Amino acid sequence: MQIDRRKFVKQTAMTGAALIASTVVPDNLFAESEFERLTILHTNDVHSRLEPFPMDGSKNAGLGGVAARAELINKIRRETENVLLLDAGDIFQGTPYFNLYKGEPEIKAMSMMQYDAATMGNHDFDAGIENFATQIKHANFPILICNYNFTNTAMEYKFSPYKIYQKGKIKIGVFGVGIELKGLVAENLFDKTIYEEPIEKANQTADHLKKNNCDMIICLSHLGDKYQDNKVSDEILAKQCYDIDLIIGGHTHRFFDAPKVYRNRKGGDTVVNQVGWGGIQLGRLDYSFARTGKKKFFEAHSFVIGKKIRE
Amino acid sequence: MLRKYFTYLLLFFALMIVAVAKAQTAIVEFTDYKVENKLKVDTTLLNLIKPYADSVNKTMNRVIGFSLNGLTKRQPESVLGNFMSDCMKTMAEKKFGRKVDIAFVNYGGIRYYIPKGEITVGKIFELMPFDNLIVLQELSGKIVQQFLDKMAERDGWPVSGLRMAIKNKKAINVFIDDKPLDENVTYIVANTDYIANGGDDCGMLRGIEQINKGYLFREALMEYIMLLSKQGKSIDSKTDNRIVYAN
Repeated sequence: MQIDRRKFVKQTAMTGAALIASTVVPDNLFAESEFERLTILHTNDVHSRLEPFPMDGSKNAGLGGVAARAELINKIRRETENVLLLDAGDIFQGTPYFNLYKGEPEIKAMSMMQYDAATMGNHDFDAGIENFATQIKHANFPILICNYNFTNTAMEYKFSPYKIYQKGKIKIGVFGVGIELKGLVAENLFDKTIYEEPIEKANQTADHLKKNNCDMIICLSHLGDKYQDNKVSDEILAKQCYDIDLIIGGHTHRFFDAPKVYRNRKGGDTVVNQVGWGGIQLGRLDYSFARTGKKKFFEAHSFVIGKKIRE
Repeated sequence: MLRKYFTYLLLFFALMIVAVAKAQTAIVEFTDYKVENKLKVDTTLLNLIKPYADSVNKTMNRVIGFSLNGLTKRQPESVLGNFMSDCMKTMAEKKFGRKVDIAFVNYGGIRYYIPKGEITVGKIFELMPFDNLIVLQELSGKIVQQFLDKMAERDGWPVSGLRMAIKNKKAINVFIDDKPLDENVTYIVANTDYIANGGDDCGMLRGIEQINKGYLFREALMEYIMLLSKQGKSIDSKTDNRIVYAN
């Protein structure tokens, strides 16, 4: 508790918003009609880790695996109504499962867990773009990406730039952005895919979602959280966007201690989170929305109020 | 402690009033769950992956060859290094259907050894966990010399098709196919894509056109071992002074 408060006070200074440990938040603070909850569950860079890490004495031994993750997700779904389950890419590569089955069990497992959407990471091209297009036939969720031009590739009709979800009273726009492939992925693997400038495409897509009355806008990003040089990252996107409320990140395999909050170009908050890799962690963000004025019901201007104490 | 608690509570309600008045609020709480396997796990997912897992384990446990002595890596030259670089040269020639003059294996990419006895697919995954592809490049003798100097600076890497000495961190007395290295001759060189793309400080290779057939080095190693087994041979090699220290 003490540590949480200290962290929380530090964040306060950073964001200009006072924060408090969530254990004191009464559920009935808002009247029922003025209030809605949304739970976002997320993973990134799972890298074909279908089974838990082997019990070899290493620090991740026994962690992860789809069976344990599914159990946790199901439990959360039983407890809370409005859930979005999202993945920020690099579903493929990293265990012999991928070498043998090219991603089929990974996509089937995600479908069984009822993922709502995923974006593509660079390693999702590892067995070729045709293979990814083949494997997502097993998906019952969309692949969202707004800055890869897939014209004349196997992915041409197999993705969407964004999708809009209605969860309770909240309308949520979710879209994806991907990393530059040249230099990272062999050219024969990504074929004629054209990488387009992610900040510009993200802002266009978010603007479109805003105009379609989305209360909240989420970006699934495989750009990486931040770099030493000025390579485009989630941090840069967060600062240069207008309408993105939340960026679910990946690629850099970073375990965040807490979500990061940035001031965007509209003066609002853009939250960034990432949960390492290998399915070692499942990220959870609980949003509580308040009524905003007479016409518009909800708008996510986030106050991150610290770590939820559970169990 | 209690007073502190109330201060926070007051602060919080003050904030909430401001927030509601501003009418633009979303409160975010976060939890990062460790995905632990102590408790009950989902049997539907277990059932989904079981046939794949059985098959993966079966594949990984499959014996593809036999090693008489056990092969380990060493610099400037080693039995394991020679085995791997000879494999790359032989299999690249087979796969690409052309003569390959020299093949290199980056020393740091060898992550395990070949133990004595039965060799399983899983062992080869441990030896070469990276999905490095074998690529060919046409390199001038001049670039080859630069690359060899870099390799000499790092005390020698596994190589096939070439012999040389290392003196003062430079490659000297270089012979390719028993002929002295000629700066003006073009050589067909096999490397992993990692090195050919300039990895491990090999920038002199970056940007030079690559011939790539998506052929994993690991796949080449397994195919090579299976070929040996088919011929009734065990996994073996020897050092033959292809790289020596001259000082």
